[in-house]
Amino acid sequence: MPRIRPFTFWLARKKISPQAARLLFVCRDLLSAANELRWIREHVNTTPSKIPPNLRLHQLCSKRARGTPLQYLLGTQPFGDLEILCRPGVLIPRPETECYTIELAALIKRNLPKHKPLNVLDICTGTGCIALQLYASLTPHFPTHIQAIDISPVAISLAQRNLSHNIQLGNLISPPPQLTPILTPNTKSTVSFTLLSLFSPALLTTLSSHPPDVIVSNPPYISNKAFSTTTSRSVRNHEPRLALVPEHDDISLELNCQPEDVFYARILHLAKELKGCTRVILFEVADMEQAGRVVRLVERDEVLRGWYDVVEIWRDWPDEEHEDHIVKGEESNVAVAVKGIGEGRVVYLWNSRGGEMEGKR
Amino acid sequence: MSTPILPALRGVLAGASLTRNAGYQLHPALGHRLSAAAFTTTSPLPVKQMPSRPKPPPESEIEEAFLKGSGPGGQKINKTNSAVQLKHIPTGIVVKCQATRSRENNRKTARELLAAKLDELVNGDQSRNAIVGNVKKKRADSAAKKSRRKYRKLEEERKEASEAAEGPEAAEKHTEST
Ligand SMILES: C[S@@+](CC[C@H](N)C(=O)[O-])C[C@H]1O[C@@H](n2cnc3c(N)ncnc32)[C@H](O)[C@@H]1O
Repeated sequence: MPRIRPFTFWLARKKISPQAARLLFVCRDLLSAANELRWIREHVNTTPSKIPPNLRLHQLCSKRARGTPLQYLLGTQPFGDLEILCRPGVLIPRPETECYTIELAALIKRNLPKHKPLNVLDICTGTGCIALQLYASLTPHFPTHIQAIDISPVAISLAQRNLSHNIQLGNLISPPPQLTPILTPNTKSTVSFTLLSLFSPALLTTLSSHPPDVIVSNPPYISNKAFSTTTSRSVRNHEPRLALVPEHDDISLELNCQPEDVFYARILHLAKELKGCTRVILFEVADMEQAGRVVRLVERDEVLRGWYDVVEIWRDWPDEEHEDHIVKGEESNVAVAVKGIGEGRVVYLWNSRGGEMEGKR
Repeated sequence: MSTPILPALRGVLAGASLTRNAGYQLHPALGHRLSAAAFTTTSPLPVKQMPSRPKPPPESEIEEAFLKGSGPGGQKINKTNSAVQLKHIPTGIVVKCQATRSRENNRKTARELLAAKLDELVNGDQSRNAIVGNVKKKRADSAAKKSRRKYRKLEEERKEASEAAEGPEAAEKHTEST
């Protein structure tokens, strides 16, 4: 990490305030420090507290300067049309995730038959941000049934709170009360959060009555090595390791993949068990290397390769269609479109001939 | 065709939040709109009737950039930067917005900002910003006049002082409004 120049500290202190100079330790540049200070001030001025405002501002800036994520201090993160509550113990939604979620919703609207019920499965939902934004974008167009799972009880209860929080804010239409979540058929939209592991045998039974048309997942994907080298200190010290690093070495051996790719391999296995009913699969990945490995997991399997005829890699900002170039797999000779700018961020699989699949079922 | 446009353009480009692209070229369609506007919209709008907000240009004319540092993203880092920068390709006008923590919000605001800048560019004095600004200025002026009646003496003293401090151009503005 480049050193911050003393002149920058001087500027922050002189032109903004001493608080801004302290924020520089985590913000790294003047503009971000000024922005964060403004947002902290706004928070202090608009939320009630027994602590006097000046002291509160000072306390929040100190915590921030020592690395606590801004979103845990302010309690929220905007995500698309929503305000997502953030609490320690649950990963904070990232802007890259926000960006591809909006892109995914647009693609689903364009490519899947309107007015037919749409089943979406969000695996590793965390705050519920992806599930809830898809719900917000898709309910006007499809009777949408969103099911989201996570292994963490803290995450599931926060996701549920995020549903009611955004209904309260008027960002989401209230789904009808559900006694049997995914079993409420077809007419009205539903969303449900379930405490369940991807690796639990119960998952397939839960899904087979209403197989998902869309699977989306931002699973833990950081390797042990990358966690201690390229992961920022604030993330390492303040966000849950369970959300970041997969620890299922035995299963990755069984599925014949690298330890950090185990969630992708497992989800692809699930897609096979669902007999190709799933038209769209979207994975968030760490970088271009991992994206390439995930593409190879698909290409090495004859069945998956046959179903998912469109395989794409998206960079951080896929809605900027500057670049569109082709990467070749190492083992197989598949052409893959790479879209957008930034780091490799998403692997997108699309079964464009869905109808045939249903015939094969 | 571009001759009557250039002075207006220069004025707009002098605005603080605008930068001009070096390889600037006018989009043919926009050029047409510009020259039409320069010759036809001469009759002033009725007083106090505010023009509606200008519409942002089509997405195909916009280049959008999210300003974030290089290096890893995704789960490995938690950046709070939500700045959005838009460039209007036909004119090279650039606007930036980082007002809120919401990128989606900033994207909308930036488009509104760009629409206002283009409106100024095309319609000049008749742009929404100019008209709204004028009405606000008139209100402020008449309020100032009232208070000046009360405090004429004080005002005159202040005027003298500011003339001395700000030089001839500032003095001229003061005389205009009295
Ligand atoms: C990177 S976070 C993603 C959170 C959210 N989807 C987002 O994009 O912000 C990964 C999530 O996976 C959950 N998780 C970890 N192991 C899991 C498992 N075996 N089954 C289901 N969820 C798991 C963690 O609790 C964490 O909430």
